[in-house]
Amino acid sequence: MDFGQSITLSAVGVHLLVGLSRAMILFIVSSGLSFVLGVLRVPNVAHGSLYMIGAFAAFTLNNAFGGGSAGFWLALVLSPFVVAGVALVAERALFCHLYQREHLMLLLFTFALMLILGDLVKMVWGADYRSITTPEVLEGSLPILGSSFPKYNLFLLIVGPLVAVGLYLFTNKTKIGKIARAAAVDRDMVDAIGINVSWVFAFAFVLGCFLAGLGGALVAPTISVTLGMDHDIIIEAFLIVTIGGLGNMWGALLGSLIFGVTQSLGVLLWPQFAIVFPYLAVVIVLVWRPTGMLKSVW
Amino acid sequence: MLQVESLTKSFDGFLAVSGANLSVERGEIVAVIGPNGAGKTTLFKLITGHLRPDEGRIIFEGQSISGLRPYEVCRRGISLSFQVVNVFNRMTVFENVQVAVLSHQKKTRKLFSSSGRHGIEETEEILGNVGLADKARRVSGSLSHGDQKVLEMAIALGNRPDLLILDEPTAGMSPEETSVTIDLIHRLTRELGLTILFCEHDMELVFSIAHRIMVMQYGRSLIQGAPQEVRSNEEVQAAYLGGT
Amino acid sequence: MQRGPFNWKTLWPYAAVFAALLFLPMALSRFYIYITAVIYVTALLAMSLNMVVGHGGLYQFHHAAFYGVGAYTCALILVRTELPAWVAFAAAPFAAAFTGLLIGWFCVRLNKLYFGMLQISLGSLLWAIVFRWYDLTGGDDGIHGVPIPDAISTINTSYYFILLVLAACVSVMYLIYRSPFGKTLQAIRDNPERCEAVGINVRRHQLMGIVVATFFAGIAGVLFVVVEGSVFPDLLFWVLSLEVFIMCLLGGWFTFAGPMVGAAVTVALRTFVGTYTEYWTLILGVILILLIFFLPEGVMGFIIEKVQGGEAEE
Repeated sequence: MDFGQSITLSAVGVHLLVGLSRAMILFIVSSGLSFVLGVLRVPNVAHGSLYMIGAFAAFTLNNAFGGGSAGFWLALVLSPFVVAGVALVAERALFCHLYQREHLMLLLFTFALMLILGDLVKMVWGADYRSITTPEVLEGSLPILGSSFPKYNLFLLIVGPLVAVGLYLFTNKTKIGKIARAAAVDRDMVDAIGINVSWVFAFAFVLGCFLAGLGGALVAPTISVTLGMDHDIIIEAFLIVTIGGLGNMWGALLGSLIFGVTQSLGVLLWPQFAIVFPYLAVVIVLVWRPTGMLKSVW
Repeated sequence: MLQVESLTKSFDGFLAVSGANLSVERGEIVAVIGPNGAGKTTLFKLITGHLRPDEGRIIFEGQSISGLRPYEVCRRGISLSFQVVNVFNRMTVFENVQVAVLSHQKKTRKLFSSSGRHGIEETEEILGNVGLADKARRVSGSLSHGDQKVLEMAIALGNRPDLLILDEPTAGMSPEETSVTIDLIHRLTRELGLTILFCEHDMELVFSIAHRIMVMQYGRSLIQGAPQEVRSNEEVQAAYLGGT
Repeated sequence: MQRGPFNWKTLWPYAAVFAALLFLPMALSRFYIYITAVIYVTALLAMSLNMVVGHGGLYQFHHAAFYGVGAYTCALILVRTELPAWVAFAAAPFAAAFTGLLIGWFCVRLNKLYFGMLQISLGSLLWAIVFRWYDLTGGDDGIHGVPIPDAISTINTSYYFILLVLAACVSVMYLIYRSPFGKTLQAIRDNPERCEAVGINVRRHQLMGIVVATFFAGIAGVLFVVVEGSVFPDLLFWVLSLEVFIMCLLGGWFTFAGPMVGAAVTVALRTFVGTYTEYWTLILGVILILLIFFLPEGVMGFIIEKVQGGEAEE
C-alpha cells in the first residue's frame, strides 16, 4: 500500500474541505434526481446528461457574454434555465404520455433520452475538452489550516447550503412545492382534489433537471468539460439518492456528504483505490440499512 | 385445528383487530361476518402470515404459527384465496394452478426437466373440479372477473390445503356468477371434505353453508356459534343483522 | 399439453436458423464473420439477463458485472497461470455464478428499485476495483493479447466454437425456461405476493435464478475473450448493463428468443449505422423511444402476437 502523502492533521482537514465542497455539487445534482424520483417515481437516467448540458451551456454562455466576471455569473444563472427548457420540451412532447405505463418503460425512456442527449451534445459541442475560467473574485487560494484552499471550493461550500435551504423553503412554504410533495406521498389524493397531476409531474421533472443544470454550471470551472461526464455523475447521484432514502432531500444531502468525504479521504489514504472508497461506503450503508438512512417517500 | 386467541393488530395507532378469538375444527365450515372495516381481511392476513400480529396467539394443529412467513404458513397446510383477484396475469390458467401444485409437491427447484411432466393430473383434476377445464389454455389476465375469482380459489386448492381460507369468494361477481360459485363451494365441501374458513357479505351463502359463524365488529369478535345462535343473538342483531 | 422438453412443431424455425448459421462463414467476409460472432456473444449475455428480468421480474441492473467477472477470470487464468485453457473456460462461469450468489444474497432482500440500486453499487464497486488494480487486472488498459488455444484461434474456428456454445446454452436455457423452476420464476415475476401464499420461498428462488443467469453471463464472458482476445473494465461498466437491458426490451422480454433479436439489432445498428455516422447512439435512442411508444412488447413479442393471434407463447 503506497500512501500518497504523509497524513497530517492539516492534510486531513484540507481533504475534508475539498470533499465537502465536492459533496455540495453532488448534493445539488442528486437532490434534483431525488425530487424527480420522489414525485414521479422514475429514476431519471438522463439526469447526468442534463448536468453535462448545464456545463456545456455554461461554457457557451460564458463565451457569448465575453468571459470574465460578467460572463461567469450570467452563465451560472442562465444555463440552468437552458437545461430546464430542454427538460420541459422532452417532458411535454414525449414523457408525459407514458405516466400510466409500466415502471420499467419510464426508466427505459429516460435511458433513450440519455443516448439522444449525449449525441446531441456531441453534435453541438464536439468531443473537445472545454474549460471555464473562474472570475477574479473566486480565483486563487486562501490559507487554511496551514495549507492553501481554493476559493472556488469555498464558494461551493456557501452555495450548497443555500440551495438546500432554498429547496426546503420551496417545498415546504410554497403552494406548488407543497402540492409536489403531497403528490410524492399520495398521488391519488392530489388527483382526487382536482389538481392536474400531469402538470405537477412536469413541474417536478423540470425543477429536478434545473438542479442538474445548476450542478453542471457550478462544476464547470473545476473540471474540464467533456463528453462522458454524464456517465460518471449519474451513477454517483443514483447511489447517493439510494443511500439517503429515495425521494428524501435531506437524505440526498447526507448521502452526498458521505460520498464526497470518503472520496477525498480515499485520495489521501490510498490514491490508487480512491474511487473504491465511496462505493464501499455505499455498500456498507445499504447492507446496514437497505432502504437508505432516512425515510424514503416510497 | 385452528385456534386464534386474543389476536391484536394495529396500523399507526388504528386498531384493525383487537382481541379477536376464533376456532375452527377439522371438517368444519366457519364463516366470519361483520360490517366493512370490521377487520375480517386483516384477521385472515394475520393467520396466513401476510401480516405480523402485535399480540395474541395463532395455533394450527397444535403448533404456533404466528410470525411465520406466508410461504411457511402455506406449507403447514393453510391456503388463502384473496379477496382482490391476485393471480399470475401473464400465465395461462393451467400454469396458474400448476405453480401451486408444483409448490405443494416441492418441485419448484427442478431446473432440467419439462414442466409438462409434473403435476399435470393434479392440475387437470382441480381445473375440472372448479369448472375451468375448458379455459385452461387461456391467459389468466384475459378471463372475466368471475372466472378470475374462481381461478383464485383453484390456485389455493393447488396446495391441497387442510384449511382453505376464502376472503369474500363472491366479491364483485354478477348474480349468476355468484350462484355458480355458491354451488361450487357447496360441492367442494361435500366432495373434497375441506375445512373452510371464509368471510362473505352474501348472507344467503353464509347461512346456507356455514356450520358456525363468527361475528366481528370494530376488530373484536362478538360471538362465535351455530347459525341459529348467531341469528338470535341480540348484540349481533343490533350491530349488524338489524341493519340488513 | 406438451410433455417433452422440446417440441419440433415450435422449434423447427430455430433449428433451421441454426443450420443456416452453420453455413454462414462460407458466404461472409472476415469482418462480417467477426461481427456475427460478436452478436452471438452479446445474444448470450442478453439471454442470460432476460432469465431474471423478463422471466424473473427482477431489476437486474448490473448484469455486465458478472459478464466482466467471467471474462476477467478467463483472461487472467490464461495470461497469468500455466493452467490448461479448459480450466480457464470452466472456471469463469463458476466465478461469475459465485459473484452472482454473493451479490444476489444481499440484493434479494430488497424490492424492485432498491434491488437494482444495491446491485449497481455492488457491481460498480467491482468495476472500480478492476479499473484501478493495475497489478492484477491492468487497470483501465485492460489485458490484451490473451493467448487463445490454437484450435479456436482463427476467425472461422472461433465462429464455430462460439456458435456451438451459444446453441448449447440456449437449449439449456430453453429447458430451464420450461422447467418447473422456470414456471415458478415466471409466477414470481407476475405476482411475488401470490407466490409466497402458495408456499414458494420467493427470495430463495430469485437467488437461484440469479446464480443460474450469472453462470450463463460468465460463459458469455469467456466467449468474449475468445472472440476479442482482450478484456477491459468497460465490460463491467453500468452503461453496458443498461445496453443489454435494452436489448431484452427491444427484442421482447416476455418472449424466450427475443433478447437474441434485440442483441442482433443493437450490434448490427452499432456496426452499420456507425460506419455512416458517429451518432449511432442517437439513432438507437430514437428507435428505443419509437419502440416504447409503438411496440411495448418488443420485436419478438410483436411477431408472436401477430403469428399466434394474441395467444401466449408456448
